Amino acid sequence: MMQDEIIRYEGVGMTYNSKKVLSGFNLSIKGGQKILLKGKSGAGKSTLFKMLLGFEKPTDGNLYYRNQPVDSSRVWEIRKEVAYVSQETDLGEGPVKVLLEEIFSYHPNLNKMDPQKLHILMQDFELEEDTLDKNYEDLSGGEKQRIGILIALMLGREIFLLDEATSALDSELKKKVAEYFLKHGEWTLFIISHDREWESENIRVVELKKQIGEGKQIGEGKQIRKGGI
Amino acid sequence: MAGPEVSTPEITVLSLIMCFLLLAIPLVISYRIKLDIINSTASSVARMTSQLFLVGVLLTIVFDLNNWILNLVWVFGMVTMATYTTIRNVELKMERLFLPVIISFAITNLSVLLYFNEFVLDLENLLEARFLIPIGGMILGNSLRGNVVGMGEFYEDIRRNENRYLYNLSLGAKKYEALMPYIRKSLRSSLKPTLANISTAGVVFLPGMMTGQILGGVTPILAIKYQITIMIIIYVSTVMSTTFCILSTIRTAFDEYGLVRKEIYKRKK
Ligand SMILES: Nc1ncnc2c1ncn2[C@@H]1O[C@H](COP(=O)(O)OP(=O)(O)OP(=O)(O)O)[C@@H](O)[C@H]1O
Ligand SMILES: [Mg+2]
Repeated sequence: MMQDEIIRYEGVGMTYNSKKVLSGFNLSIKGGQKILLKGKSGAGKSTLFKMLLGFEKPTDGNLYYRNQPVDSSRVWEIRKEVAYVSQETDLGEGPVKVLLEEIFSYHPNLNKMDPQKLHILMQDFELEEDTLDKNYEDLSGGEKQRIGILIALMLGREIFLLDEATSALDSELKKKVAEYFLKHGEWTLFIISHDREWESENIRVVELKKQIGEGKQIGEGKQIRKGGI
Repeated sequence: MAGPEVSTPEITVLSLIMCFLLLAIPLVISYRIKLDIINSTASSVARMTSQLFLVGVLLTIVFDLNNWILNLVWVFGMVTMATYTTIRNVELKMERLFLPVIISFAITNLSVLLYFNEFVLDLENLLEARFLIPIGGMILGNSLRGNVVGMGEFYEDIRRNENRYLYNLSLGAKKYEALMPYIRKSLRSSLKPTLANISTAGVVFLPGMMTGQILGGVTPILAIKYQITIMIIIYVSTVMSTTFCILSTIRTAFDEYGLVRKEIYKRKK
């Protein structure tokens, strides 16, 4: 069902070493929705993604995935269903080919490696064929990002968390990537990006305000609707 | 091990003093170029000498009694020391890791040791002090070195490259799948020195044990046969104990989310 709720943040807050970086954040994301999360650097955007993957635990509030609280057993399910592109592009080392083999040897990804699809995606995103033989750590920033995006797409999942996935690409490529994701109506997209290329008719922009001062709550995930849904 | 009739020269107090005189050389060097190792040389040598004398006295008693319970207690004492030294050297906190490490050390090293006594040396008494204790010590000492490198690198790497590990978790990897590259890498580094030692044995220098045996009057051929078997069991026990230690500590060092517990580290990042 498209309209099932996938993700819900309920008054979520985060405090690192007594420094409040996030508080009272509310957001509900339904199946097929496209959300663009914006906010100042350090506002806690990446932290919101990490909470969903179980890499950080919220210090306040509740977080739900498909109406169930995100706890230590749930996160393992989420990690099988959600495709995450991290803001950090340090994904590994050694030949890209070997990296891919390792990733597609994980249980939930078995049989997901489709050489045809890989070939097409590489062409779409203007990656040379020989990129697969190069060492991942030798690739340029933009190439690394495109490999990250490519892996996420190869996984055949329908929920995406893209954390600044296009920041190092040229505007033409940014547009291509954004269009590629947005054209899939059934995909649920939760995107962090400052790139204008993502702003389109069917994406909802959510603004995240930075916490100022100690423990003071300045607005919560104020939402600006832009067109559709 | 009755060798030919060449007796080993006795080392008298005078000979020990003659040997200690050699230490004047590093001390003079240290003084002249301000190496600043005079104090540490003195304390290291003093420690080594007193420790070895103590061990010498104790071993004489233990060998004379040759009581199997006492022998086993001695070996377990060595296992405990090895565990303690390993964890302290890799700068991890004791509380959580002591149990898995000591169990891994005990199981792997003891089983290799007993196999060796039973099937290689074909001893009447598997727990014979004269074999159990020195060979056990040699195996444990080498396992310890392998584990300091292996465990140290594993936990340091996880901390330094946590992003990669988390990324692999996000792709749906199980904890052990996501950790496999780190396990592989740290095991390789821990075995490298042992392998290098094995492959160069006899080329540049004679291994310590063999030297000792030859000085003790054993024929070179018997000495090398001992050396070959010892090197093999050292290698096997290092592989086993390092693998077991890493795998068994993972259970306690990572939480149910698959994240490494920050509190196992002594030093803050
Ligand atoms: N593990 C941590 N320990 C301490 N502070 C942290 C930790 N992780 C994040 N922070 C802090 O929390 C704040 C929010 O970090 P986060 O990465 O979520 O920001 P962001 O909105 O994604 O910023 P950017 O746009 O620069 O990526 C930052 O001030 C950061 O320093
Ligand atoms: Mg961020």
